[in-house]
Amino acid sequence: MAVTIRRLEEFDDVQNFDCGDEPLNNYLKRHAWTNQQKRSIGVTHVAIEESAPRAVLGYFTLATSSVPRDRLPKKYVRGLPPYDLPLVLLARLAVDSRFTGKELGNVLITEAFKITLRVADEVGCRCIVTDAYRDWIGWYAKYGFIPIEGASKDGPQKMFLDVRTIRDALKGGIEQG
Amino acid sequence: MPAAVKEKSKNTAQSPKVRKSKFQADLAPSEDSIVRALKAELQMTSNTDFLSDALALFRWAVSERKRGHIIVSESSTGERKVLVFPRLERVAPEVALPHVDIHWNDTELESLAELASGQPAQPTKALVRAMRH
Repeated sequence: MAVTIRRLEEFDDVQNFDCGDEPLNNYLKRHAWTNQQKRSIGVTHVAIEESAPRAVLGYFTLATSSVPRDRLPKKYVRGLPPYDLPLVLLARLAVDSRFTGKELGNVLITEAFKITLRVADEVGCRCIVTDAYRDWIGWYAKYGFIPIEGASKDGPQKMFLDVRTIRDALKGGIEQG
Repeated sequence: MPAAVKEKSKNTAQSPKVRKSKFQADLAPSEDSIVRALKAELQMTSNTDFLSDALALFRWAVSERKRGHIIVSESSTGERKVLVFPRLERVAPEVALPHVDIHWNDTELESLAELASGQPAQPTKALVRAMRH
């Protein structure tokens, strides 16, 4: 299965996408293109197969964000640069149910990490943050995402991954469990 | 050792020959036909010249995309086509990523600050494997 990841394009076939989660389906079908091109809210990358280059098999959406330095607790700001804390938000990631078990999620998140490193190199960012569904916390933890404390028990779980950790992984890292 | 030979080896030591790399590619029959047709159209006879020109064009495309420029062809009537080439997108700057506000409660901010100000965690096996691809 030769998969390519590229930016969402206007005439991509998103209507047949079904990951089994209505909000994630709905986002791709109704909002992803508009948010990317007109509203500048998030950039969506899609996985496509070379034999059917318009059919979207999976996607993720990224945006940047920052936390104002004056909102961070004083006892921690010493360890941080004297600016707002820049970060990349992995806003959504989903794989069509017909293609689960083919490592597509891995391919998508890897590309998201690579883009995050480029953002870090070009404009600076300290970490990547995502809002994980409760059922998927373990999947994100596998890649090193750490739960951020303070989330409500029912809602999604904010998770954190340091850009330096991703850089270390690129260099080969010290493999741990 | 005769003087002439000595001189020759001296010269060799002073100006070493530039090593040229050999490049071999396995092309599918259709790709081979495209190469032959392009060489004919461009009146090129050697594969070296062909590769050299293709390299120059590719290098230019990469440098333009790196600067965030898009590559467009424009017809005499003003119809524009944007080149969409997935591999080029890998070098495109992501400064175009939009900025959004995230709602954080105080506990989340404290946890985030603690994580961000501390030493980074060691990468997991899955992350290392992913980044090797």
